[in-house]
Amino acid sequence: MRPKKVLIVDDSKLLHRMFEMMLRQYTLVHAYDGREAIDRLNEHKDVDLVLLDINMPRMNGLEFLAEVKSIVEHQRIPVVIITTEGTEDDTQRGLDAGAAAYVKKPFRNEELLGVINRLTASPAP
Amino acid sequence: MTEPRKLADALPPRAGVALEELRATLDRAAELTRELRDLPAPAPAGQVREELAARLADVESDRTELSHKLAEYEQQVGRLMNLYVATYQLHATLDPAEVQATIAEIAINLLGAERFALLFWKTDAAECEIALQQGMDRDGSGLYINNTYAGGDAAVDATLSDGVLRMGPIDGSDVLAAVPLTVQGATVGALVILKLFDHKSGLRPDDRDLLDLLAAHAASALFAARVYSNTDRKLKTLESLVKLVRRK
Repeated sequence: MRPKKVLIVDDSKLLHRMFEMMLRQYTLVHAYDGREAIDRLNEHKDVDLVLLDINMPRMNGLEFLAEVKSIVEHQRIPVVIITTEGTEDDTQRGLDAGAAAYVKKPFRNEELLGVINRLTASPAP
Repeated sequence: MTEPRKLADALPPRAGVALEELRATLDRAAELTRELRDLPAPAPAGQVREELAARLADVESDRTELSHKLAEYEQQVGRLMNLYVATYQLHATLDPAEVQATIAEIAINLLGAERFALLFWKTDAAECEIALQQGMDRDGSGLYINNTYAGGDAAVDATLSDGVLRMGPIDGSDVLAAVPLTVQGATVGALVILKLFDHKSGLRPDDRDLLDLLAAHAASALFAARVYSNTDRKLKTLESLVKLVRRK
């Protein structure tokens, strides 16, 4: 069985490095803003999950999410928003936009791993 | 009339062996019967149930303990991973701007700092330059203006003076943490954290490790990058001069 593929969308190099350490059992694809992430998604049609920051240059996370949800072939991909925007309104806005989960920075690694493992688990036959 | 033959003689040779085996089996059965008779009476059902319940409780307790230990180990691994990545990233570049960006990323993404400033002593004055700041436009103290901190916060002043890391709440100070930045034992500045994101209730004990790491590595990484950058600039100037002289 092929490893699950995760697209990391964040403008922080530190977090990309951290995800490389955390998600060793996954194949990772990297993007540093929303526009680059759209390109990566078009190159990698088999992405299983997206980890998405909100505050990024060029195209922010919510704009990216709206674009992804408008493209039929990408709609099924679960998106986890990981951001410093932590109010209830922010959370609701993210979930309303179609995010599968909303995680606030700073996060505990084991908690985020739990969310990722749940969302990438193969569906029961 | 012939004498009646013994039973064993009357049987074929292999049957004799089988008979011996049968006799041995019967002896063993008798022995087992005696052993069974001597066994203590079985415990009443209620007692067995109690013993099983006690053992089940032990197993449950072990499972809970192991589960807690596993959670602790996972947290430890997470903390170590954060420290490793932060250190790695601080020293991964010789570009001063990138080192500063990494310090900001550690403060924001790993510590949850919403408002902070990175101060460095100016070489020729008794005040600090603000090398990096985030969210300081909403700071009402008036101590951090025109990219300069001239003193006034008791905790920050003390840390800049004695190089000791301080975590709030501190009397006479608005800061949540004043982290000394040291290079070869000398305090060259401080990272001042004034506010965390609202969804983070306060600095946790494990944040202390990250603050210690910043105290030990942030300044040296930044200074190394600045020295390299200056040297590189001078080298390029010299190379240009040499080229110019050769053309003549």
